[in-house]
Amino acid sequence: MKRNNVLLTAVAAASVLLLTACGTANGQTSAGGDAATFKPKGNVTMVVPFGAGGGSDNSGRSIAAGLEAAVPGLKINTENRDGGSGAVGYSYFLSKTGDPNYLLPSETALLALPLNTKVGFDYTKFTPIMKVGDDFTLAVVPTGSPWKTCADAVNASKAGRVVAGVSGATSLDNVVFTLTEQATGAKFDRVPFESGEELLAALLGNQIQVASLNPGEVVEQLKAGKLRALCAFAEKRYEYPELKDIPTAKEQGVDVAYAQFRGLIAPGGISDGARTFWIDASKKFVESDKAQQYIASNYLQPNALFGDDFTAYLNENNDMLSKALGK
Amino acid sequence: MIDNLILGFQTALTPQNLLWCFVGVLAGTVIGLLPGLGSTTGVAVLLPLTLDFEPVTALIMLAGIYYGAQYGGTITSVLLSTPGEASSVVTTLDGYQMARRGRAGAALSIAAIGSFVAAIFSLILLMVLAPPFANFALKFGPVENLSIMILGLATIVSFSGESRIRGLAMASAGLLLATVGMDAATGTARFTFDNVNLLSGVPFVEVMIGLFAVGEVMYQIRVGAAAPIRTRFRELLITRSELRRSIGPIGRGSVLGFLLGCLPGSGSTLASFIAYGVEKRVSRNRSQLGQGAIEGVASPESANNAAANANFVPTLTLGIPGGGTTAVLLGAFTIYGLQPGPLLFQSQPKLVWGLLVSFFIGNVMLLVLNLPMAPIFAQMLRIPYAYLYPIILFTSFVGAYSIDNNMFSVWIVFVAGVAGYFMKLYDLPMAPLVLGLVIGPLFEKALTQTSALGDGDLLIVLSHPIALVVLALAVLLAAGPSLVRLLPRNTPDREREPAGV
Repeated sequence: MKRNNVLLTAVAAASVLLLTACGTANGQTSAGGDAATFKPKGNVTMVVPFGAGGGSDNSGRSIAAGLEAAVPGLKINTENRDGGSGAVGYSYFLSKTGDPNYLLPSETALLALPLNTKVGFDYTKFTPIMKVGDDFTLAVVPTGSPWKTCADAVNASKAGRVVAGVSGATSLDNVVFTLTEQATGAKFDRVPFESGEELLAALLGNQIQVASLNPGEVVEQLKAGKLRALCAFAEKRYEYPELKDIPTAKEQGVDVAYAQFRGLIAPGGISDGARTFWIDASKKFVESDKAQQYIASNYLQPNALFGDDFTAYLNENNDMLSKALGK
Repeated sequence: MIDNLILGFQTALTPQNLLWCFVGVLAGTVIGLLPGLGSTTGVAVLLPLTLDFEPVTALIMLAGIYYGAQYGGTITSVLLSTPGEASSVVTTLDGYQMARRGRAGAALSIAAIGSFVAAIFSLILLMVLAPPFANFALKFGPVENLSIMILGLATIVSFSGESRIRGLAMASAGLLLATVGMDAATGTARFTFDNVNLLSGVPFVEVMIGLFAVGEVMYQIRVGAAAPIRTRFRELLITRSELRRSIGPIGRGSVLGFLLGCLPGSGSTLASFIAYGVEKRVSRNRSQLGQGAIEGVASPESANNAAANANFVPTLTLGIPGGGTTAVLLGAFTIYGLQPGPLLFQSQPKLVWGLLVSFFIGNVMLLVLNLPMAPIFAQMLRIPYAYLYPIILFTSFVGAYSIDNNMFSVWIVFVAGVAGYFMKLYDLPMAPLVLGLVIGPLFEKALTQTSALGDGDLLIVLSHPIALVVLALAVLLAAGPSLVRLLPRNTPDREREPAGV
């Protein structure tokens, strides 16, 4: 299909593209269109695949507010479509293929869900726009624990039983423990919980010996001296003053780094013009104060990637994840 | 302590905070009234509107919605047998029967009074003893939770009505339904038929709306007998003897609700079920429970309110949510740039104490709002059913859609409604099914975790004293009367013991 008619309106382009997208097996089909001519028509919808008040919601609302500030005249409504650990929201988003007026604040569920469960989508069905930052995890233990480093925990697991709490089979922290086992030959007995908060309670109550949680989830407990961080499963140390003294796992001889990404995706099958528009807007967002504030308040490492670079990151991450999950 | 209280009053009594506290409790009452729209959804939906507020004002309003909904949820449970909130399901058992006998005003009044007493009782404990209770709650790991779920299951016999076997069958059906969805431990999808909407399980609120509201309407259309209730206004007021009968149940409900509410993860719904189960065992009028006894309204309504407040114990002292709505509230803290955690009391005294004092003020507002309104609400039953039923159906389906903006919820309500109709027709009790569906996922989680902790050996329960005590209570609750009958002399005092926990 040739479409170099610059007079095509965005709406017409979107509807025609919707048809092309339906007609091809691969939702990634990108077609002609000019970046300069694309402008979202009417209100844009940010589909949050989790409930209000959670991490995904926070990220969706922050990005929406930041994009509105970066692009004059842009109006984004946020809509929560909770259910099935994100599957309901992503499936709904899939039904918007070809419509550039929808966005979704994405995270690792985008990769983990299709690997683990039969859902109608995987990451190739969507258009990656931007990765805002990385949310690594810290290995944390109750203050009374004898372990000082991650190597201590690994050694203890070789000598005897170590009970680790994880938040679900496809969760990031479970992946981190699996990667640690693969890298060191350690063995962790997992007790499944449903959320980071439940893990916190179990750690504070000495029900489990170790857990791996995002800095944002544990920083207050660390400050209060209720928990101790052993190491960060990150490539480099955090720069935040309250986290900078935590060594990386690699420094302690455990070569594991794995992050949950926070980013933004658009539906598959949108025009090149629309894709470029959202990437340009995202670049402006990342440089804004709003983005800095979001990153700092959630203790992310600000490693932004856009468009093709983000796609390449997803490919790489997906391979690593499927190996870790044994799929 | 006194300084903190003064600080709290200074914060909560500003005209702006008073106004938003009132808006919150009023909105909460309405949200609680509407089936489907529960406090969790209500807080989540209104959260974005508060982003420009002072954090303390925003939290005062959002918390107002939360406990306001506990009051509102009762009204439709009693009048229409349509629980507005999950924690008011139990109230339908006796509350609706009371309404059919023209005692709706009394049921609503005692619910408001019980809720108020429980709220004040639990608030005082929350202010004075939150840290020790929080530390006690941390002792409740998977093993202890498992024993609590067993205690919850043991109350099933109390909801079974005439036939125990039917109750057990319905509870089993509820537990079976609860196995649908993604397994937390392995991530395996069970009985979902590749439908993503079922990955998070059979949605509880939708089933509840269908069974109780839609099922009841269909059944009433079939029997066609119901005439609008005709009572004079004065007869709607609560009597002195009804008040006297409610003192014990309110006390027991408050204590039980507070204790259960302190534990992270177990919400006010479970508290209301267990409180009713205990009442069914220990109340002097236990034989009347289920047929419209005021104890059956007073106890669960006190318990769910006490639990709602107690949910703030782990939330404020540890930064760990006590239930679904407090989880959303914790999310709100982060959005306002506050870090909830063990340091909150030290780092944000103005916010914490202002919020706590606002609970007092909000509950007084709710009592003042609800007591005079109870007989007026009860007048609603004078509306001929030909007008009332379409309204119930309309709010049920719209309410269902509003939960997740998803047509799937509407279909669940429809299916559950048809099921509810046949259950009524064949006299199968609904409350055990709901209880099974609520406890199922929690029970399974605790069981998996206990098994994982014990490396496959469930006998690690034996090394957890708290769990053993709770299990003993469960046995007492389930088999109490049979055990007592074996004793030489049947002393009522012996049976009262479980109430003392």
